[in-house]
Amino acid sequence: MSLRRSFWLLAPGALCLAGCGAASVNADRKGLDPDWQNDSGASIAQVEQRLHALPAVANARVAVGVSETGLAAVTLDNASHWTYAGRPTSAPIIAGPLVIFSEADRILALDAKSGQKTWSIGNRGMSLRGAANDGTSSALILADTHKSLFLGISASGAVQSSVESDASFGVPAARGGVAFVPWSNQYVSALELKNGDEIGRLLARVQVSQALNFGGQLYFGEQGLLRFDEKARFASTNQANHVGLPKLDLPGKPAWLGSGLVNPSSQANARTKIRIFAAPVAGPNGELTLGAGTFVATYFRVAFGLDAKTGALRWVRSLPVDIVGGAAASSGFVLCGSNGKLWSLDSAGNDAGGLELGPKIQMCAVDAGAQPVSNGKARGSIAEQITQALDGLEPDMAEAERYLVSELGKQDDPLVTKTLIDLSSSPRIPPDLRLETRRLLALRKNGAEYMLTALARHYDFVSGVLLPPPVAPLADALAASGDTRAAPLLAKHLNDPANSADDVAHAARALVKLATVAEYEDLRTFFALYRATADDEALVAAVVSCAEALLRIGGSEGRAVVERASQDPLTQNDVRRALPAVLAAPAAPAASAAPAAPVSASSR
Amino acid sequence: MLQKLAVIGLCVASFAPALVSLSPALASAAPAAKGKAQPALNLDATKKALESGDEARALAALDEIELSGDRRAAALVEALLARGASSKLLLRAIGVAGALGAPSSSSALAPYVKHRAAEVRRAAAQSLARTKGSVAVSALRGALRGSDQALRGTAADGLSALGAKEAVPDLFVVLPKDTPEAAGAIGTLCTADECKRFVALLGKLPFDVMESGFLPLLLRTDPGAADGSKLQLIEQLRRMATQKANALLATALASYPANGNPKIKSAIDAALHGHTVTSTEP
Repeated sequence: MSLRRSFWLLAPGALCLAGCGAASVNADRKGLDPDWQNDSGASIAQVEQRLHALPAVANARVAVGVSETGLAAVTLDNASHWTYAGRPTSAPIIAGPLVIFSEADRILALDAKSGQKTWSIGNRGMSLRGAANDGTSSALILADTHKSLFLGISASGAVQSSVESDASFGVPAARGGVAFVPWSNQYVSALELKNGDEIGRLLARVQVSQALNFGGQLYFGEQGLLRFDEKARFASTNQANHVGLPKLDLPGKPAWLGSGLVNPSSQANARTKIRIFAAPVAGPNGELTLGAGTFVATYFRVAFGLDAKTGALRWVRSLPVDIVGGAAASSGFVLCGSNGKLWSLDSAGNDAGGLELGPKIQMCAVDAGAQPVSNGKARGSIAEQITQALDGLEPDMAEAERYLVSELGKQDDPLVTKTLIDLSSSPRIPPDLRLETRRLLALRKNGAEYMLTALARHYDFVSGVLLPPPVAPLADALAASGDTRAAPLLAKHLNDPANSADDVAHAARALVKLATVAEYEDLRTFFALYRATADDEALVAAVVSCAEALLRIGGSEGRAVVERASQDPLTQNDVRRALPAVLAAPAAPAASAAPAAPVSASSR
Repeated sequence: MLQKLAVIGLCVASFAPALVSLSPALASAAPAAKGKAQPALNLDATKKALESGDEARALAALDEIELSGDRRAAALVEALLARGASSKLLLRAIGVAGALGAPSSSSALAPYVKHRAAEVRRAAAQSLARTKGSVAVSALRGALRGSDQALRGTAADGLSALGAKEAVPDLFVVLPKDTPEAAGAIGTLCTADECKRFVALLGKLPFDVMESGFLPLLLRTDPGAADGSKLQLIEQLRRMATQKANALLATALASYPANGNPKIKSAIDAALHGHTVTSTEP
């Protein structure tokens, strides 16, 4: 095809490169060629070659928050604080050395370091969608429901060029006098800032509505990013350098970049607090990866540090306030709290310093740039971190709790067992999540000491212990490990009416394996109390299990108790039907390490 | 349906006297009449009936035991409780054990305070208050810790009846938590500082919750209940000047024991006439 055709289509732009160098402020509005055909990356490759050797445009490394009174900013080196009094109608956009936002019918640009007004232009009745700066000139995208408008703005604020389209433009980037404007979810057009000419176009096979500058390098994408480098020309065949996030089911379903076709409002909502922050960086072999192998997902007050490749939870922390913005650095993160505080976290989520914006903020924009965050003091294990985070969560954070509990179940740390026990017994955990903690607890293979400590606890109205321990999963786990230390504790739970019938059934089942002669009396009591009064399936099962245990550890007297019950017409029908099989089963060996307790002393 | 039930009810009412005369076992609820000659209990036959597995026969045997009031049969009832039985039989056996009041029965009754069926638990707690002993006290103290509100009330009453002073700290804990019966027990059981603490709760807890403990406290003649606490209570009740407070003082005055401290009686009388009551005790 059509390289030639493509060049032909781009020829006016190329001609303009030569002849329209000094485009005027009132440059005619242009449009994007609707008949453009895939040039197999030829035109975008030329643009890349033109810009390749240019020095990188440094990121501003600043945080800007939207407060009730305007904007409050601090540079990340803490060298400069500034505020702007006003009523921004858009979220602030950090574009190179500028902070650009809309207010009333104007688009304003402030110096990112000082807050001084750099320029202001009319918004032409449209909303600000995105902005970029190449170190000198700026690219603005304005949009309403019908059309999108690209404006090239000089350093002094003069409109150098404009391109209007019915298509929806996304968030732009800029470098070396060229703006990169994503549109129609698949194109990125390279537009000369000075005259609006389209000098190249990239066709991507992934969703593209955002362009961004990270550490001087440009990236395009939405769900993932492709790097604007020498391989960008292969984007149409999916061979450009690309990085994405693993597929994850995170609390609140946060998006990384989100759609660039939305005008960023200054009004915060839940989505402001449910975000993903990830920084694309070059790996050791030049491959595209995410900063230090981790990215952050936020859910209100909780920040989850996730493995860039697998999505596994690497760290977690719960902040005292909602997280209303942030950014990823090449390694580490900067997160804004709604109280106006900034947290610098290293790639392991450790504290690496903090800054203050000043006032409370509704949202914030951060440009952390390519500079890494220094390492902070290491915290505890991931299990400890999850435990701490869960402790700090309010009951309305059920989705975060659910995620953390599921992650907790994947950890081998014995502390996990304790945390699961605590959660299972916590009245502030939603019932469905409590069931999940019980399920995970039953699968634990370590933390037996925590299990035994928990089993020693009973419902106690006087002491204020108003939920019994999770007896069933503890019984299952301890029976699976054959831990006979659990036997006396489980036996006491048989006869505690605060336990559910299901808990009792599992305890009885475990005692079939774990009971020693020391548990004879508790087993016999339970058997006596319920062999004729069991009124549900679980209780019937518990009684039958008790019979098995009595036969195993009760000697001839235990057998006599069960035999008598099997012949007594008063014995509950289901129990009576089950007992002959129990009596006929071959005797299993009694558990060793049984404390010496004379069965006959307590037999009747 | 209602009509049918009414007809059945009438029939039962008409035939009831005849049924009772046919079998003393069916008059199971009737307490053993004192001073009246009771038929001698055949322990062997009763034992066989209780072990028969025939619910009606066992129930009849229990009725006979209760009617006889023969404490020798307590062991048979205890054995039945130890073996276990149907709910109906258990409830009856628990009641009969209580009626016999043999201290040895407390051990057999104690596990039933933790039965999963509420009615069984409560029946056991009531009977333990009659069979007494340290096992009964221990079981009732355990019942105070349970989740069954009604059982806690029964246990509080039982502990009061058993004079279980060691339970007072626990009774204070449950008192403000939907267990007003604890007030009566505390008023009966408290000693010096505990009585002060109890009286000090007046105004902090609703009067209705506290009320049942005041009369026992005022009428106590044992040295455990210091006069200072009583005078403090009388003065507080006087200041309240509510109908309920005055009625309580009037009842206390009317039923004041002959061997009670006349100073307290005078104070009650004075309070009822609106005069300030002061205590010289610390």
